[in-house]
Amino acid sequence: MADRLRQIVAFGGGGFSMEPGNPLLDDYVVGLTGRERPRVCFVPTASGDADHYVVRFYRAFGAGRCEPSHVSLFRRDRGAGAVEGDLAAHLLGQDVIYVGGGSVISMLGAWRAHGLPEVLAEAWGGGTVLCGLSAGSLCWFTEAVTAFHGSPQRVEGLGLLPWSNCVHYDGEPSRRREYLRFVGDGMGPGYAADDGAALRFVGTELAEVVCSRPGKGAHRVEVRDGEVVEERIEGRYLGAAPAVLAAA
Amino acid sequence: MMVPTILALGGGGFTMETDTTALDDFVLTLAGRREPRILFLPTASGDPREQIGRFHATFGDRACEPSVLSLFRLAYVTRSLRDIVLSQDIVYVGGGSMRNLLAIWRVHRLDAILREAWERGIVLAGLSAGAMCWFQGGVTTSSGCPEPTPGLGLLPGSLSVHADSEPARRPVLHRAIRDGVLPPGYVADDGAGLLFRGTGLERAVSSRPAARAYRVEAIGDAIVETPILPTYLGCAARPERPVPFDVREFRQIRYGGAHRG
Repeated sequence: MADRLRQIVAFGGGGFSMEPGNPLLDDYVVGLTGRERPRVCFVPTASGDADHYVVRFYRAFGAGRCEPSHVSLFRRDRGAGAVEGDLAAHLLGQDVIYVGGGSVISMLGAWRAHGLPEVLAEAWGGGTVLCGLSAGSLCWFTEAVTAFHGSPQRVEGLGLLPWSNCVHYDGEPSRRREYLRFVGDGMGPGYAADDGAALRFVGTELAEVVCSRPGKGAHRVEVRDGEVVEERIEGRYLGAAPAVLAAA
Repeated sequence: MMVPTILALGGGGFTMETDTTALDDFVLTLAGRREPRILFLPTASGDPREQIGRFHATFGDRACEPSVLSLFRLAYVTRSLRDIVLSQDIVYVGGGSMRNLLAIWRVHRLDAILREAWERGIVLAGLSAGAMCWFQGGVTTSSGCPEPTPGLGLLPGSLSVHADSEPARRPVLHRAIRDGVLPPGYVADDGAGLLFRGTGLERAVSSRPAARAYRVEAIGDAIVETPILPTYLGCAARPERPVPFDVREFRQIRYGGAHRG
């Protein structure tokens, strides 16, 4: 395991829960493990472990494609199909840990109460690919913009990635406006991703931007010479090129 | 101004009992208003829609103004959490994971808001995790096996719940008290509720004739339990939906006095 890369794939939005019928981002993450049948564990804490979300995960990550499991921090006494007993050992044995969307603030509170931040950092160091959308993206960064309660606000993440992060960048204009303002007010430099785009980090550096829909991408946001600057990074489309489709 | 009031249920109420609404009806009487505003906090279970549905099914038909605060679905909530909580007469906390409940409340600063609500006389009620959270500590199964865990400490002492249906909790409470990990306190069966005015126990109530609560103390090396006999609230069976006035009038005309509506 020692030679495996530390990787995080942070979706601006997308994957099975936001793009039904478009598995490109999920397939991309699974592909990064280099395993035929990777162990993929879903962590739906940010939704309050919503049953319907867990069901959709198992539909998307069927047993034919991977070894799926999920962790419920709300029902550790009742099993309900989730992992019981030694959570840490289970998480450390995964190829992918997939964090769902919802309330990043509630999620981080519950994670801390169960000692998950340390476990996730260790899993990352051991080569488990960490990924997620929305709250499941914001959580990996030092700071992020959440708009889960009223107007967008700053939130502190786990800090595995020493950047700031903003999601749904093209879908919710108020987030973009506030993110630019926060960076101007001293939030560290970082990356914003559109719905349908994902940021792949190797170590703590951005390796590439991929997308599940043509034309989606990301922005690097930072202060240069006292000005907040947004620099567009086009995403590499993961699907078949449109021209090829037309020819077929 | 109302005296700070907490009703701590060992279990029971609308999320656990389908054959009686005695405890839920009792909760509504505590506010001293004809139609109290009652807020449900299902945080400890992750705000599941099923619990929220049952809350509306139970309180939607009663003389009260029911609402729900979901900390996992704040996107469309524009008022501050403090405003929402402090405008209630009753806050009813559901069961689930006590550890998650307190951790999530803290990140939203709801622990301080609920203390303020209690001090103002807003009735705090809850079952299981939603009952133990008000004490200095309780016995939780948040990580699987029962273990002692701290609460908010509005009420002195400890509480262990589901004494009759989950017997593994009680010895853990006894050991924790003996070892000084938790202060002496109470255990309560499903269907038993402890009513506190200020920080003192006023009385116990129950929705089941056999439900009991116990005071738990350490005397020397021994743990001594003293039963507390609850007032049985009677088996108020879930009433049928009240028949609307116009329907009753119609039946009266159609069937005369023969039909009971």
